Order: sequence, then structure tokens, then C-alpha cells
Amino acid sequence: MENEEIYERLNNVFRDVFDDESIVVKPETTSKDIEDWDSLEHINLVVAVEQEFGIKFNMNEVTTMKNVGEMVDIIKSRI
Amino acid sequence: MNLTSLVFLIFCIMALGIYFIVPKKFQWFILLISSVIFLFWNNLSVSTVIQALLVLLASYIFGILIDKYHDNTIKSKIFLIIGISIILGQLICLKYTNLFSVTINHILKLLHIDFQLGLSYFNSLVGISYYSLIMISYLVDIYRGACKSQKNILKCALFMSYFPILTSGPFIRYNDIEKDLYGKHKFNYDSMCRGLVRTIWGVFKVLVISQRLGMFVDTVYGDLATYTGFYTIVAALFFPLQLYTNFSGSIDIIMGISEIIGIHLPENFTAPFFSKTLTEFWRNWHITLGAWLRDYIFYPLLKSNAMQNLTKKTKKIFGKKASKKISLYLSMLIMWTIIGAWHGGAYTFIIGSGLLQFLIMVLEDTLEPLSNKINNKLGIKKEVFSYKLYQIIRTYLLFAFTMIFFRASSVGNAVEIIKNMFVWNPWVLLDNTSIYTAGLDIHDFRVLIISLTTLFAVDKLSRTGSVREKLFKQNIIFRWGMLYILIFAIVILGCYGVGYDPAAFIYRQF
Repeated sequence: MENEEIYERLNNVFRDVFDDESIVVKPETTSKDIEDWDSLEHINLVVAVEQEFGIKFNMNEVTTMKNVGEMVDIIKSRI
Repeated sequence: MNLTSLVFLIFCIMALGIYFIVPKKFQWFILLISSVIFLFWNNLSVSTVIQALLVLLASYIFGILIDKYHDNTIKSKIFLIIGISIILGQLICLKYTNLFSVTINHILKLLHIDFQLGLSYFNSLVGISYYSLIMISYLVDIYRGACKSQKNILKCALFMSYFPILTSGPFIRYNDIEKDLYGKHKFNYDSMCRGLVRTIWGVFKVLVISQRLGMFVDTVYGDLATYTGFYTIVAALFFPLQLYTNFSGSIDIIMGISEIIGIHLPENFTAPFFSKTLTEFWRNWHITLGAWLRDYIFYPLLKSNAMQNLTKKTKKIFGKKASKKISLYLSMLIMWTIIGAWHGGAYTFIIGSGLLQFLIMVLEDTLEPLSNKINNKLGIKKEVFSYKLYQIIRTYLLFAFTMIFFRASSVGNAVEIIKNMFVWNPWVLLDNTSIYTAGLDIHDFRVLIISLTTLFAVDKLSRTGSVREKLFKQNIIFRWGMLYILIFAIVILGCYGVGYDPAAFIYRQF
């Protein structure tokens, strides 16, 4: 899967989870850039991403991923 | 061994002195010996040695086994479960047996059954709540592939018992501290100065502020018949500050000492009393406990199939937003009950530092839209100083209320304290004599006003970067001047009062 497609699908997941159609994710996007992305929403996001791409993050990845770029790297390594 | 006692000072000087004298490859071993001495100081018995060995062996053996069978998910999971069960089992037996007994006794009484379970008083080791959780995270981290197991049992023992953190934390993770803990450290004058400044600031917080506030709080709570109404209100308002200065002061001492020997520990507080909501408050208070619970309980719980299924099922009935909230609140309820129980095996802790925190946070979350609506209608600006100040004071008052339960000897005692607050006697604050009869005189109040102002100024400054770095950028006269003022303040104004245990660390019992 191309990077572009991953980001496009990821963008839809983010917009759906955070109910914000204006979100545009980039590799450097972090929780600081999205208002509602706190530790509570983080898991909802992770689960939504898992469902979208049919993959599973392990707990170490869930707690250590620092930005969208790292999330995409993990997605790419699984699909 | 109290962190502000002379014994601890001598102990540290000796330990740190030997640490820098011995060949660098033995430095970690000196830390281990110091930690073992600290762990069993005043508490050496067959039972305590068995307790410590049990946790050590469970962590060491199962750590290696989980690591070895990393590719075999089932086997490594079984070893993880056994390891955690042993560590958790000893913690529950030593800390929570009485809670179960008290609960069962209550039920038996309600059922009019004439039988009561006896209470047992085990002699548990200092820091049991800390090292038990730290070793659980060690096993889970190996299982998750975040770190490798430690093959040297003595090094594993040092990670478990690193002495500065045994009394008040912070919680450490193996991955973060491994390099520093077993590494070779050269004596560094700059690190020593920085570490000393932080240690002295911590001692100031504990001896000058916390102990002084404690004298008032202890006097009032110790004699509720005499001290009613506004005495109780002032004591309830003082207690969060007493707890904070005691706890964060201890952390400063711990981090300062560690910094001298080149070990960097994670921060545990970031000016929590400037928080505008209780949710924000807990992001700045006992940060490493919050992070521990988030990574090892809250996230796995929320991500579990059970919670995800619950979200799916409730989504059809209540809609997307509400269904997420249901799983969230349920996970929060479980987590906050655990936080409360971690603080102590009594209902006062489960209510005060657990369930009440949960309840307020849920209210904050659910009432936010309504509060926004009201603010908009009334034209109340949220970004102005006065509104932020109102939010900060509101958060403090809510936290102070929850801490009544935390501080009380029983739930009944907490209710008695709250009832006591409704006695109308505001003149005790105004007649210029009464307030000085509760353990603190006019001089003590003056010291408190000055030292608390200093504390809040430093805390406020710390939100925009390290205050120490700012201090170290100043000219030498100012730097040393500040340090001397602090030292003199501790020597002259420190509370070593008669009949008051110097530094009976509030957090030590957890």
C-alpha cells in the first residue's frame, strides 16, 4: 500500500474518531496538534486504526508511538 | 530512615562517598549494598527477608523465562501471569488482608451473625507498594518486548530496591533507568551542585512548610471536640498543602541525591496547584503513578475485547459518543478504585483518593457542555485571569474536600470532620488569639505566608522551564545568596519540634 493511501485512510479514521472534518494528518502530527487527542481518546483512535487496516498494535507500541509518522511505520510493517 | 533525618544524611554521605571512591565497575554494587541496608533498616526479620526474596526471585526467574519464550505467546503469557500473581499476591496479603476482614466483619454484623474475623498486623517492608508495582511493570515490559530481562540477579535486586525511591517513588521503568543505574559515573562538580540545590529545596519544603502545616492539622484533627468550625475548615485547607510539600519535597530530595550520582529519575510533579480542573491536576500530581496505571491498567482495559464489545453494543442504543463514554467511565472507575486501594488498605483511601476523584472527573466531563452554555449566555470570558483563578481555587477546594477522607482515621471520622465544619465560629479567625492555639503561633503563620509565597512563585516559574537552570544562569552572588538563605531558613525555621516526629513522611506508608 502506498504512503498516500495510508494517510488518506488514516485521515478518515482521525476525522471520524475526533469528529472533526478539518483534520489533516501529517507524519509530524502529535497529540498536541489535535485538541481532543488525550490519553483517553488515544485508545479509541488505536482501536479504530486497527479496525481500518485489519492489524493489531501491541501494548508497547500503543504507549510509545510519538507521532502519526511512527504509527504509519507500524501500519506499513504489518500490511 | 526518614529522608530529612541526621541518620539519613550520614548514610547518604557515606554511600555517596564510597560510590565515588570504589572502581567504577563496582559502583552499582555499592548502591545495592546501600539499598539493602536501607530496606532492612529497623525492619530486619525472617519475614521481611522472605518478603523481599519472594518478589526478587519471582521477578528475576519469570523475567528470564518470559524473555526466553518471547516467541511463544502462550508460554510467555503463562509465565507473566504466574510472576504477576506472586508479586500481587504478597502485596495483597501484606496490605489488604485487614480490608477484607473489616468488610466481612461489617457484613456479618449486618446479618446479626455473632462472629468476627481477627485483624492481623504484618510487618511489611518500606516501599512495598513501590517495588511491587515497579517489578510488575518490569515483567510486563519484558513481555511486551519493551526491554530485555536482567540476567544478573544482584543487578535485578538493585533495580527492585534502589534506595532513594523506596519511601516516596517516583515509579521507575527498567528501560529508562538501566543505563544510569548500572553505568559508570565520574564525580561531576556541576551535577553535585545541581543535585544539592534540589535536595536542599526539598528539605526546605518538608521541614519548613510541611511539618509546620502538619502541627496545625494534627492538633485540629486530633481534638475535634475542642477545634470545631473554622478550625476544621482551615485544617482541611492546609492538608493538601501539607501533603504536597511533604511528598514533592521528598521527591526533590530523592531526585537531588540521584542526580549527584548521575541517575536521572522521572519528574513526579509539575506545579499541580495551578491546575484548572481535577483532570488536569492529576496530570501534574504523582505523574509516574498516573503513567504506570495508564500503561499497565487503563490502556489494556480500554483496549480489551470486553470493553470494545461493550462500546459496540451500547453504540446501537446510545449512539457513538455516549457509548465511548460508557466504556471510558467504567475503565476509569476500575482504575480509580485501584488508585485508592494502592494508597492504603482502608475505605478512607478508596473513597478519598479513588472514588471521589473519579466522581468529580466524571462530573467535570459531563457538565462541561452545560457550563459552556451558561458561560456563553452570561457572557463570561474563560480566557481572562479572574476566571482562571476561579478555576484554580475551585480545583483546590474540590481536592481539599476529597483529602478529608484520605486524612481521616475512618469514614465515620471523615463524616464527623465534615459535620464539624458547619459549626459557626468565624470569630476564631478574627479575634487575633484563638487561631494561635491550634499548634501554630503568630510567628509560624508569618513563616508559612512567606514560605508558601516562595513555593508558589517557584512552582509558577517552573511551568515555563527549570527553575534551577534559571538560577544557575544568574551571577554567583545571587546564586549563593539564594542558597544560603534557603539553608539558614531550614536551620532556623525548620520544625524539629518536641513531640513531633521529624518528617513522619505521609507518603511513606503507601
